[in-house]
Amino acid sequence: MKVHVLDGHVTIADCGDSALAAKVAGLDAEDAWRFVHALADALDAVRLTGVHGVVPTYDTLLVEFDCARTDHDTVRGVLRHEATRIGTRSALDSARTTPPRRFVVPVVYGGEHGPDLPDVATQLGLTESEVVAIHSGSDLTVRCLGAPAGAPMMDGPAFPGPVPRLASPRTRVEPGAVAVAGRQAVICPMPSPGGWPLLGRTPLRVLDLHSDPITVYRPGDTFRFVPITPDQWDDHADAPLAACHG
Amino acid sequence: MADTLTVRTAGITTVQDLGRVGRSRYGLPANGAVDQHSARVANVLCGNDEHAPLLEITALDFACTPSSDILVAVTGAPADLTVDGATRPQWEPVPVPAGATLRVTGIRRGLRVYLAVLGSFEADYLQGSCAPDTILGFGPALRDGDELALRTACPSLDHPFSRIPLFRLNAPVPRFPTSWTIDVTDGPDRADFGDTGRRLFEAPFTVSPQSNHIGLRLRGDVPRRVTQGEVLSRGVPIGAVEVPAGDELLVLHRGRGVTAGYPVLAVVTATGLSALGHVRPGQSIRFRHRTLDQAITAHRAQRGAVDALRTRVRTAFDALRIPVPAGT
Repeated sequence: MKVHVLDGHVTIADCGDSALAAKVAGLDAEDAWRFVHALADALDAVRLTGVHGVVPTYDTLLVEFDCARTDHDTVRGVLRHEATRIGTRSALDSARTTPPRRFVVPVVYGGEHGPDLPDVATQLGLTESEVVAIHSGSDLTVRCLGAPAGAPMMDGPAFPGPVPRLASPRTRVEPGAVAVAGRQAVICPMPSPGGWPLLGRTPLRVLDLHSDPITVYRPGDTFRFVPITPDQWDDHADAPLAACHG
Repeated sequence: MADTLTVRTAGITTVQDLGRVGRSRYGLPANGAVDQHSARVANVLCGNDEHAPLLEITALDFACTPSSDILVAVTGAPADLTVDGATRPQWEPVPVPAGATLRVTGIRRGLRVYLAVLGSFEADYLQGSCAPDTILGFGPALRDGDELALRTACPSLDHPFSRIPLFRLNAPVPRFPTSWTIDVTDGPDRADFGDTGRRLFEAPFTVSPQSNHIGLRLRGDVPRRVTQGEVLSRGVPIGAVEVPAGDELLVLHRGRGVTAGYPVLAVVTATGLSALGHVRPGQSIRFRHRTLDQAITAHRAQRGAVDALRTRVRTAFDALRIPVPAGT
């Protein structure tokens, strides 16, 4: 069933016996993103019995719950109610936003650190240096924290087309790996399996397990990638990722 | 000095709980006991909070010795449980005297065994849970000689005829069949697969060696997506059956990354996930289609049985004058 909001609508789909997904269509990417994050905030504030996880991403909100303590109809009803409440221009414009911060991230592109750079260039009909120039040529907005382990998931760089995911995911991707897929970009903070093509790697330490939250960046912050040579790796090795001032 | 549980033979054993829930918005996976039902029952049989730390023993033999009298419960896959050589039952509370050796050997028809101790033991916590997260590098496997500090002392449980079981609590024991059928409901992207979606139920799939608590890779006649285009990353539920473009299915388990971009054909049910935690690499499984109502009914029946067990445990503990551990 669709809930109409602004110029678009929200569809709420079953995701197995313990989750629902609310997906926004018909809004531009910025409004859809603000909408699902406002919806996640609203659901967190309601503290619905049995609901234990909200995952807002680009245009979708996943809600995880214990189906022994609540049910799909109850959660769906609350989602529809909150979506309707947020779904006006004034409510969406006044949804809580924190001032964005900017992070500068040095990256060694290609070679052993970015083994998929040649394939990505071929798929996009670009040279490798054109891919690097576009990837590092503008600030990219963090849209959500995702897999693996609090990874900053960003809007993709302005490539001429989407980048296909790998047909067979790697069983291990190195920490700091800088990857793209579809129209998205990411840094993998921790060694993990992954199906995204790898363009390069940053020597920075992206996460701090001993702080709470473990990430210094939030949705809405921006990242700027800066190419460095392999010789410059040691200048940055294991330095913590930190926001720029001014 | 605090009472301890000394690990004699660690095998592949970790300190676990039910997982790191409520952190998925920050990109942290749930993790926690792969067979949630068996883990929950083990703690309930000890009178513990169901979220208390316990041991998850995977595949290999395990042995430990307490420095004081303790009460344990061992659940999960069938295995041989002994205390100083005497056979003891799984799925019941079992007293272990100070200095005795408890052994779990011959794990079969499943992969994981859970061992809870009355009062539980101390554990390191990260973001609200002691569950290991292999991506974050948190929660190392136990090693031979490790000592776990017990949280509370357990009263001695004298029994004049020690071969007679103290308890007969009739815990809800799931089936551990020789071949596994795993229940799934339709996934949100079911329509993307057209008629090929039926392949999920028509033939068995083989579990690849590259399978673990994060996800299982399955080989077989893989359904094919009939629509085009890349999917934007979005939150995916635990149990998602994903279909990458290659020749394997991915089934996401409790350690799964919270976002993914492959289409989700089906979702393993809550009860199916506990069963899936026992399938070994090389084994084949079949999927069975369930409606949401069937899946929810099965889950509620399982949880209701655990709630009823908790009541019987309280009654039995009261009769034996065993204080229920604090915080439960």
